[in-house]
Amino acid sequence: MSLKPFNKLPELNTANVLLVENEERFQKKLADAIVLLENNVNVIVRLARSLPLPLENAESRPRIDLVVFIVHLNSEQSLLSAETSLKHLDSGYFLGKVCFLVTGARCGTLPYERLTSLKKMAATLNSPLLMTEDKTAEGVNTAAQRVLAVLRVAAGLVPMATGLYLSSLTRCTVPNDPDWQNQD
Amino acid sequence: MDAGELLENAKALAKQTSEYQGHLPPDAPAGRELPEAARAELLDECEDQFSQLQQLQNEIALAETESVQNPAFQTVSRANALTAELKEWQELQPKLLSSNPEVLLAVGKEELSRLNKQLEMVLSCSQAKRDKLKDVLKSEQEWLEEKKEVLKAATERVTALQDESDRLSEKGVLQDMKKKIQRVKDYHDNLLETLSDLLEEHFPLPHQEGNAKKKRKDLLPEPSVDLISLHDILELLMNKLLESPHEPYVEINGTFWPPYTEMLLRYGIASRHPEDCFKIRLEAFY
Repeated sequence: MSLKPFNKLPELNTANVLLVENEERFQKKLADAIVLLENNVNVIVRLARSLPLPLENAESRPRIDLVVFIVHLNSEQSLLSAETSLKHLDSGYFLGKVCFLVTGARCGTLPYERLTSLKKMAATLNSPLLMTEDKTAEGVNTAAQRVLAVLRVAAGLVPMATGLYLSSLTRCTVPNDPDWQNQD
Repeated sequence: MDAGELLENAKALAKQTSEYQGHLPPDAPAGRELPEAARAELLDECEDQFSQLQQLQNEIALAETESVQNPAFQTVSRANALTAELKEWQELQPKLLSSNPEVLLAVGKEELSRLNKQLEMVLSCSQAKRDKLKDVLKSEQEWLEEKKEVLKAATERVTALQDESDRLSEKGVLQDMKKKIQRVKDYHDNLLETLSDLLEEHFPLPHQEGNAKKKRKDLLPEPSVDLISLHDILELLMNKLLESPHEPYVEINGTFWPPYTEMLLRYGIASRHPEDCFKIRLEAFY
């Protein structure tokens, strides 16, 4: 059973975000930063290694407003795990309720293809791709700010803005790839 | 912004607030309950909204199908969703607040207090910025002063070096030499003067003495020519030596008073010509 965006009633003044990370290295720090940053609304961060989520507490689980996939470029497994997890997500999420977080893109020794394939994936799903730095506190804070900005819109807390609208403006594109241009 | 600066700003803000506190009307009691009617009206509105939401949720649950994941479907569904959103926005009517004056008052108050808070933050922020800029200006001015001093010192040094190089140059050497020559000339003049003074004092003209003796001894023959002074003899000798170093001898004639000639010879100031005893020259002192 895949995760659906609209199968439950929303709660008042609450935003739920799900951080999916295979390595469980970065999600805890990021979750703390996000919760610390937001004061006006009730932000609930849920963590997962991969999708699908376990069935036993599916009933008590609130509606997830945004799914964030954290991908470490220095591990192939990270990318593959995110790819398999994506299959368990309802297509409704790809209308502005998914975003990708990439770490380690600054390291020059990594294979470039990994970033390219990730970019292609994000572009196919019309989702934003955020580059972040997970080593420094400042980087984590910045990442939290950006995720929070997307989350507020995705949870419907910003008047006159919807996740779909935002993702149309911030979605990842791969302009230099001829394949992609053909598809477009 | 460090803690001290923050504290300063807070103090300034507190001062400002206390300054214009007098112009403000007293705050309405916070947390004053809305009248029952207004409250009920708002709650009713919320109920309506929630029932509408539930209805929509049910519709979604009924309409939901297991979706297929392929890019083409994604694109189609995205296009549909975007079209729907566009339509929704085009048909959207701005929703007004409840017209109940009590509700409007509460909302307005809240809005104003939030605005006030934000403006206070802007004020303190801009003050901090201004103070920081002042500090920067001060440090820049200090820096400028320092640079000016450095420039002054460097200019002085350049002048000193130029003076030194001038002194070492050809012109400087020439001037140095001229000075030395002048000094030597002065010394020379001084020497000549002393010599002439000495000669005048101790070796007077012989004919004066001769005149004095003449009164006592009339036997001595009167010299046929005017005698010259020892000064003149020495001058003659010196000039001859300097003018023709190859032939420094001067012929003794009648104008030379013999005792002076004798004295010069005896004290080794002059010497006779080895072959001609009527010729003398100044001894070579150099």
